[in-house]
Amino acid sequence: MTVITKRITIAVIGVFAFGPVYWLLVTALTPNEDVFRFPPRLWPSRVTWEHFANLADNPALARYLTNSVIVASLTAVLTVMVSAYTAYSFSKFRYRGRRSLMYLILASQMFPQALLLITLYLIFSASGLLNTYLALILSFTTFTLPLCVWMLKGFFDTVPDELLEAAKVDGAGQLSAIHRILLPVSLPGLIATGLFAFIRGWNDFIFALTLAGPEKQTLPPGLVNTYLGEFQAAWPDLMAASLVVSLPVVIGFVILQRYLVAGLVSGAVKG
Amino acid sequence: MIRGRALSNGTFGFLLTLPAVVLFSAIVFYPLIGSLSTSLFKQSLVLPGRSFAGLDNFGYVLAHQFWPVLRNTVVFAGAGTVAPFLIGFALALALNNRVKGRAVLRGAFLFPWVIPGVVVSFTWLWIFNANYGLLNGVLVRLGLIASPVSWLGEPGTAMLAVIVAKTWASFPWIMVMLLAGLQTVPAVLHEAAQMDGAGTIRRFWHVTLPHLRGIVGVVILLELIWNFQHFDTIYVLTGGGPAGATTTFAVAVYETAFKGFDLGQAGALGALWMVLLSVMVVVYVRVAER
Repeated sequence: MTVITKRITIAVIGVFAFGPVYWLLVTALTPNEDVFRFPPRLWPSRVTWEHFANLADNPALARYLTNSVIVASLTAVLTVMVSAYTAYSFSKFRYRGRRSLMYLILASQMFPQALLLITLYLIFSASGLLNTYLALILSFTTFTLPLCVWMLKGFFDTVPDELLEAAKVDGAGQLSAIHRILLPVSLPGLIATGLFAFIRGWNDFIFALTLAGPEKQTLPPGLVNTYLGEFQAAWPDLMAASLVVSLPVVIGFVILQRYLVAGLVSGAVKG
Repeated sequence: MIRGRALSNGTFGFLLTLPAVVLFSAIVFYPLIGSLSTSLFKQSLVLPGRSFAGLDNFGYVLAHQFWPVLRNTVVFAGAGTVAPFLIGFALALALNNRVKGRAVLRGAFLFPWVIPGVVVSFTWLWIFNANYGLLNGVLVRLGLIASPVSWLGEPGTAMLAVIVAKTWASFPWIMVMLLAGLQTVPAVLHEAAQMDGAGTIRRFWHVTLPHLRGIVGVVILLELIWNFQHFDTIYVLTGGGPAGATTTFAVAVYETAFKGFDLGQAGALGALWMVLLSVMVVVYVRVAER
C-alpha cells in the first residue's frame, strides 16, 4: 500500500471506530434540550455534568458498582491462585494426561454459556448459592481460567528450571519453591493475569443477569435493568453511566496491553 | 506434603491442577452433561420434578424453532465474521510498518473491543434510535433518507444493525492478531520480490498472504465460533426481535429456559446447537495444530 492509501484506510476506519465513541462522549455531556431534538446537534451548545450527577443520586447504581468491584476483585484473586498452580504444572511437569488436560481446559471456553446456565442455575438454586457473590465469582473464574493459564504458562516457561531446582536442593519443598521462588519472579505475569480476570468479571453480562437478583447484580445487567426498563428515555444518563463502567477497563487495559496482546496471540495460535 | 515419602514429580504436577479440574468439572462439564440430558425430559425451571419425554422435545424444536434460529445464527456469525475480518485486515495492513504514532493508534483502535459488551450495545442502541438517533440524523441531513427509519424495529434492518454493532466490537481484535502476523513476514522477502519487479498487489498475494495463512484461519474460525454463541450484543440491542428476526441460538436457548421456563425444549435446542459448534471446534483445533 502506498502512504496515501494507508492514510485513507486509517481515516475511513477511524470514522467508523471513533464516531460512536465521540457520540457516546458528547451525549453524556449534552444538556437534555439539545439531546432530544431531531436532527441531533453534532456538538452541544454547552457542556453539562448534570448526567453524571444524576448517576450519583441513584442508590441502585451505587449498589451495582459495589457489587461489581467486590465480584471482579475476588474473581481476580481466585483466578490468579488457581491459574498459577495449573500453569506451573503445565509449564514444568510432564505426566500422563497432561496434554489432554490442557486441551480440555482450552476447549471448555468453546461451550455455549447459555446452555451451561440451564443446569448451573439449577445447581446454584439447589445449593442456596443463587443471588450470592460466590456463584458469580466461581462462574467468572472458571471462564477466565483458560486464557489466564495460557498467559501465565508463557511467563513460567521463561523461568529457568535451574532456579527452581536450586531451591529444592537447598531443602525447600515443592510448594515453597513455588511460593518463595517462582511467584516472586513472575510478579508482572501474576499482575497481568489478575488484571485480565478483573476485566472479564467486570464486563460479564449473561451470568450476572441470570445467577444474581437485583441485590447482588453487577453493573452490566444492572444498567440494562435500570435504563432499558425504569428510565427508558434517559439516554444521556445511560451514556454517562457507560463511560463510568468503561473507565476501569480502559485504564486496566492500557496497563495490560503489552502482556495481553502477546497472551492472546499465543493462546489462540497454540490452542 | 505427605510425610516420609516425597510425591513423585508427575503426581505432584497433576495435583497442582486439581483446583482447576474441580472448577471445570463443577461449572463446565457437569452442567454441560446436565443441560444436554434435560433435552430428553419434560422439565420446568420453576416447578420441581421431571418426566421422561423421549425425543418429543427435539420433534417440537425442529418443527417450530430450529430452522429460523439456525438461519439467523448463520447470517449473524457469517456476516459478523467477514465484515470485521475485512476491516481488521485493511487496518492491519495500513498500520504495518512505520506510520507515525502507530503504537498510539493501535491502542486507540482497541477501545471498542475493550469496553464492556453492554456498553457497545448501549452506544449503538442510541445511534440507531428511531426518534433522536445519530444515524437517522446524518442520513436525513445528507438527503439519503426522507424520514427517520426504525432500524431496530424492522425485521429487515434489525439484523443488519446487530451485525454492524458486533463488527464494531470485533474488528480491533482481528486487527491486532493480523498485525502480529504481518510482523513475522521477513522484510527480505518483500525486497527480493520487489527487485524481481513484483508490484504491491502481487507481493500481497505471493508473499504476505501465504505467510499469514495460519493466523488467518485461526482468526476466522475463532471469530465464527464466538459469534455462533454470542449473546450480549443481540440480547441488549433487540432481545431477539422484532418478530424473532434476530433470535440466534444463544438468545433462543436463554429465552426458552429463563423466560419460557421450558428446560426440555431449551436443552433440545442447545443440544443441536452444541453439535454444530463441536464440528466448528474440531475444525479449529485441526487448523490451530498445524
